[in-house]
Amino acid sequence: MSAGWSWWVMSLIVLNLGVTLFLFLWGPRAKIPTLPDGTSGHVWAHGTLREGVRKLPRWWLLMSAGMFVAGFTYLALYPGFGNRKGTLGWTSQGELAHDAAANDAKLDALTRRFDMYTVEQLAGDPEAQQLGQRLFEDNCAACHGRAGKGNQLVGAPDLTDHDWLYGGDGKAITASIRGGRHGVMPPWASLGEDNVKNLAQYVLSLSGSPHDTARAAAAKPLFATCAACHGADGKGNQAIGAPNLTDRIWLHGGSVADIERTIGGGRQGQMPAWSPRLTDDQIHVLAAWVYHLSHEHDVAAQ
Amino acid sequence: MAFKHFEAIEKHAGLLGVLIAIFVSIGGLAEITPLFMQAHAVKAPPGVHPYDPLRLAGRDIYVREGCYLCHSQMIRALRFETERYGHYSTAVESVYDRPFQWGSKRTGPDLARVGGKYSDPWHRLHLMNPRQVVPQSNMPGYPWLAGKKLDAAQIQASMRTLRRLGDPYTDADIAGAPAAVDGKTEMDALIAYLQGLGIKNEPTPAAAAASAAGAP
Repeated sequence: MSAGWSWWVMSLIVLNLGVTLFLFLWGPRAKIPTLPDGTSGHVWAHGTLREGVRKLPRWWLLMSAGMFVAGFTYLALYPGFGNRKGTLGWTSQGELAHDAAANDAKLDALTRRFDMYTVEQLAGDPEAQQLGQRLFEDNCAACHGRAGKGNQLVGAPDLTDHDWLYGGDGKAITASIRGGRHGVMPPWASLGEDNVKNLAQYVLSLSGSPHDTARAAAAKPLFATCAACHGADGKGNQAIGAPNLTDRIWLHGGSVADIERTIGGGRQGQMPAWSPRLTDDQIHVLAAWVYHLSHEHDVAAQ
Repeated sequence: MAFKHFEAIEKHAGLLGVLIAIFVSIGGLAEITPLFMQAHAVKAPPGVHPYDPLRLAGRDIYVREGCYLCHSQMIRALRFETERYGHYSTAVESVYDRPFQWGSKRTGPDLARVGGKYSDPWHRLHLMNPRQVVPQSNMPGYPWLAGKKLDAAQIQASMRTLRRLGDPYTDADIAGAPAAVDGKTEMDALIAYLQGLGIKNEPTPAAAAASAAGAP
C-alpha cells in the first residue's frame, strides 16, 4: 500500500477509535440535567413515555471496555494500522509456510521410511496405502474411478486387473504416473467398411469371444498391418502401450460396435503427466497404491 | 463538548442520520477504497498473457453458463487448499479476467489450476454428462455446447472492447481471431479455456513475494 493510502487508513482508524473511545470514557461521567422526578425531560407520545436517567449497566461497560482492549491489541499485534506490520509479523503466506513446514516435519519420518522401499514392497504398507488412497481419489479417480476400475468411455484402464498397457511393475507404474501416457491408435477406415467389420470379428476371435468365423478368416491377412503394434499373436506391446487383444479386457469397450469404431476411427488415450502436480514422494506412494489395487487379492489369497 | 451537543444530535433525526452514515462508512472507506484504487495499478507480470481468441470465447461461455456459481478460481493461502489445488492464487494472475472469477463459495472444486489435470476427451465427456466419468457428481451436463459454433465477429468485438480497457491485443491478434476459432464449437472453446487455467502463469517465487509485500 502506498504511503498516502497508509495515512488514509491510519487517520480513519484514529478518527473512529478516537471518537468512540471519547464517548466511552466521557459518557458515564457526563453531567445530564435531571428533573426532580428522575427523568431527563425527554418525552414521547404526549408524555406517556419519559426518558429516565440511569447509570450505564456494568455489564455493558465491561463488554465495551473488552472490545476496546481487543481492538487495540489486534492493531498492535497484527497488520491493520496502515502499513504497520504488527509486532507478530504475521502474514497469510508466512502462516501457510509454517503450516506446510509443520506438516512436512510430521511426514518426514514416514517419507524417509517409504523411500527405503520399492513400490512393490510399499504396496503392503498400511500407512502408505492410506496416503496413496487419498492421493488416488483426489487425482486419479476422475478417470480411473474411485475403486480403480477404469472407464471405457474415456479409455482409462482398469487398474485392479493384471492386464497392463505399459507394464505393471513398480518402475513402469511410476513412469506412467510421472510422465503421463499418450496412446495413439491410427484410424483404419481407409481399409473400407467391410474390412473394418471383418477385422473386428478377427479381433474378437483372438480372445476366443463369440465371432463370425467367415469374416474373421477373411481379415486374417489384413491383421499383418495391426501386428506392427499388437504383435502377430495379438498379445500387444507394452513398450508402446498397444493393448493385448487376446484377454477379453477392453480399453474402449468390447462390443462389436465398439471394436468397429475403434478400428475405423482410431483411438487417442491420454493420461496427463503428474510430475508437475505431485511431488516424487507422492508419486512413489501413489504408485504403491496402484500396485496394491491389482495385487490386493493375491495378498488376500496368500 | 457537553451534554447539550448530544441532545441536539438526539433531537434532530436528519443530523443523527448523517452522522450515523459517516460513521458506518468508515470501515468501508478504510478497507475497500485503498484496495479498489490499487487494483487498477496491478500490472501483468511477464508470463501472464491476455487470452487467445479461443480461450477468450471459452471464458465468455464459462461466465454465460454460470460456472462461477459453483466453481471458484481462487486458491487461498491455506495448507489444505494449496495441498489439493497447488500454489495459492495471486492478484497479478487475474489481470486479464473481466470479471474476475474469485470466490470462496464452492459446490464443485476450485478451477484456478485445473489446466492439464485431465485430458481433453475427459473434459468433453464430463461436460456432456459429468456422471459418465464421475458417478457421484451433481454437476449438470452442458451437451448443447457441442452443437453450437463460435461467432468470430462477437469474439473480435470483445477483443476490441478489452483493448479499450487496456488489454494489449494487437490489430494482428484481432484480425487473426476468425482463423483461430474457425470451425470450433463452444465446447472446444470452453475446454481450451479450462485447459489453460493456471498453466504458465503460476507465480514465480519472486512475483509471489512481491504480491505478498503489496498486500495490506
